Amino acid sequence: MTTGTQPGPVLLQLGRICKAFPGVQALDGASLVLARGEIHGLVGENGAGKSTLIKVLAGVYAPDSGNVQLDGQDLPALTPALVHALGVRFIHQELHLVPHFSVAESVYMGQELQALWGLDRRAMRKRTRQFFNDVLHAQINPDALVRDLGIAERKLVQIARALIDGAARVVVFDEPTAPLPGGEAEQVFAAIRGLRAQGVAILYVSHYIEEITGLCDRVTVFRNGRDVARFEAVTAASADAIVHQMIGREIGNLFPVRRAAVGAPLLQVNGLGDGAQFSEIDLQVARGEIVGIAGLLGSGREEFTDTLFGLRRPTQGTLRLDGKLLRLQSPADAVAQGIALVPRDRRHDGVVLDMAVADNINLASLQQCATLGLLNRRRANARAAQQAQALDIRPRNVQTPARLLSGGNQQKVVLARWLAAGPRLFLLDEPTLGVDVGAREEIYALVAGLAESGVGVIVSSSDLSELLGLCDRIVVLFRGQVVGEYPAASLDIASLMTLTTGSAQAAAA
Amino acid sequence: MPTLNALQRHALPSLPLVIFSALLLYLALQAPVLLEPYTLNLILRQSLPTVLVCLGLATVVMVCGDDAVAGGIDLSIPASAVLAAGIVASQVAHHGTPIAWAVAMAFAAALLVGGVVATLVVLVGMTPLLASLASSVAALGITKWVVDNRRINLSEPLIVYLRDAELGGVSVSVLWVLPAVLLFYFLLHRTRWGMNLQAVGGNRDAAELSGIAARRFIAQAFVLAAATGAGAALLLLARGSGFTPGSEENLLLEMVLATYLGAAFSPRRVVTLWGAVLGAVLVSALSVGFKSIGVDIFWTGCIKGALILLVVASSALARKSAA
Repeated sequence: MTTGTQPGPVLLQLGRICKAFPGVQALDGASLVLARGEIHGLVGENGAGKSTLIKVLAGVYAPDSGNVQLDGQDLPALTPALVHALGVRFIHQELHLVPHFSVAESVYMGQELQALWGLDRRAMRKRTRQFFNDVLHAQINPDALVRDLGIAERKLVQIARALIDGAARVVVFDEPTAPLPGGEAEQVFAAIRGLRAQGVAILYVSHYIEEITGLCDRVTVFRNGRDVARFEAVTAASADAIVHQMIGREIGNLFPVRRAAVGAPLLQVNGLGDGAQFSEIDLQVARGEIVGIAGLLGSGREEFTDTLFGLRRPTQGTLRLDGKLLRLQSPADAVAQGIALVPRDRRHDGVVLDMAVADNINLASLQQCATLGLLNRRRANARAAQQAQALDIRPRNVQTPARLLSGGNQQKVVLARWLAAGPRLFLLDEPTLGVDVGAREEIYALVAGLAESGVGVIVSSSDLSELLGLCDRIVVLFRGQVVGEYPAASLDIASLMTLTTGSAQAAAA
Repeated sequence: MPTLNALQRHALPSLPLVIFSALLLYLALQAPVLLEPYTLNLILRQSLPTVLVCLGLATVVMVCGDDAVAGGIDLSIPASAVLAAGIVASQVAHHGTPIAWAVAMAFAAALLVGGVVATLVVLVGMTPLLASLASSVAALGITKWVVDNRRINLSEPLIVYLRDAELGGVSVSVLWVLPAVLLFYFLLHRTRWGMNLQAVGGNRDAAELSGIAARRFIAQAFVLAAATGAGAALLLLARGSGFTPGSEENLLLEMVLATYLGAAFSPRRVVTLWGAVLGAVLVSALSVGFKSIGVDIFWTGCIKGALILLVVASSALARKSAA
């Protein structure tokens, strides 16, 4: 192993932290050691416990057991105010800025400088300019408005706000480059290296392995709520080993055997882009085919799926369904063209919680239950009952309010709604998010059945094993572009993880 | 497409101001008397109650956001003003209460209205639109009971002084309002309190993550807004030489129009104090101008309503294109 940067003295230690929530052990004896003047990467799959650990450190959650030490001193029960006073700062994923504030006003928000006559704007502007120059090595006008800045510059403003008081000893970066277009991240990296040079301890959380190996001195890997590996000297060659440690598990037999023959071309996407989150995407889906879309936060996967349903307008490219050019202005247009979406947030965007199961199921096809605009309740209930029976929705009473159903059954209600409407193309966005394993198996069987009936299916998911088990083909998005398209049978979790995290690109570079 | 979006974002908020300016120009050409010192003084005097309530609404918009439906609006400020005016008039004219006590009672009543709105918004979680609308209706109902839904003439020396006295050719009521404007400017734009208040309205999550107690600022803003209504009460009484039922309607129209129109004056395209004050003076000029050329009062109200729609719609469209 090559020798990397020598760590400074240990500054922060989290030891054997446990934290449980109803039904899930989020942290199971997790430990982390952070030294002065180092950039320490924290990696792990979704659900590995990274976010929970950060919230414990931030004082948002109290751990069930374990201890936190700063400079060798055991810390009492942490609160956000105490953590801030101790010099621990957090740079969150979301920018959290006021668009019409100036850079100086944003940097000093909540910690404004006062003079006898009121706000000392001159001092705030001067110190902001100095901080950007000296610490972040960036030239940003302190009078510029936030809304006129690029995303990378806004990120720097967010960083400056956390650090302007000069009291930061530990800085936690949570997915700092996720919202950044490719190429703009280097400004942020330069700022982070500048902080390291000042002796600040930096915890860098990211899914992008090439960033981790390119930036970090040491890396801790989390899996199943605990640290499973620590890499002392990280180089680009460490990527494979890191990914291997992140995965470390087997796929179960949740997935049905696929029997469907792929039919005629159904969906043709050419050069689709939205001018912000994704660009130049080509995609084809045939009848009877299940195509998966894999990609991390910031890959454009969610935005692409939304665009296919008319929730976002593309600025470039074309969309054809059965050869017909589509110009989707809204979801209503998509539904009229025979496209269905099972959204990722089913409680917010899927089911109408206060409506009965029957009404939810019939929502997209009320015209089939009505005569001259008048709703035929008997016909509507019979249709809903038929769907509930076919999809095994429980409880069977279709007059039950949807909010009383389990997550898996709510998801089946959303599926039933679209089955009742008879679409040509199904878009499934995180179809088993928050669903128990039993319901997942049922949903996978339903999805396979959809394909067998001749419908085209797109599954957009962050669950790699789900994509590998369910799909015929997988399209991988990275920073808004397609980096590859593969038969699912040719991939495994490690290789798919490598593709989605960009480490394949880094290795090739 | 990007150019069209930029045009929408920058041109749309200015559209109402362009139309407004065109209207004023038309009126000035039709009635040159509009530009004479006497008329300008009249415009200024007539605008003062609106200026004061605009200070209150601008504060609420700054703390709750400039989306009139989802964010900041306080429809109860004119109702607070009218309630306070009714209490002063009734107490002085019918009960012989000394003016100072009557004013104190009026302020207390207005602050109570503001407190109710603050409670409904911050603790109960109602939207400002609904909370202030409900409070406005209640306050107006109480006002009708206080004054028995009748006009009350007032010849109280303070009221007459505010109405008639001048200093160096400028009405003393201007000198009554100017310190209030300067105080609000200082509070909102020169203090930490004001910056924090604006941060809450600009991005509540960002403000709270910066340690700012958003709910406290929101509550304080609504109470402060009600206080501006109380301040406007004396000016309403002076302008009308007493209490006139129904005076809240025009005040509400002008307050909303002036405050949101004022955003067009701001380089940041947000509601500001000076923009609201200037908007109030321009709206008053419009009213006086229409009267000068003999336009029916009902048509004046109709035009103001249409301008409000234009102002709010162009702001919403500009916000949509920026998203």
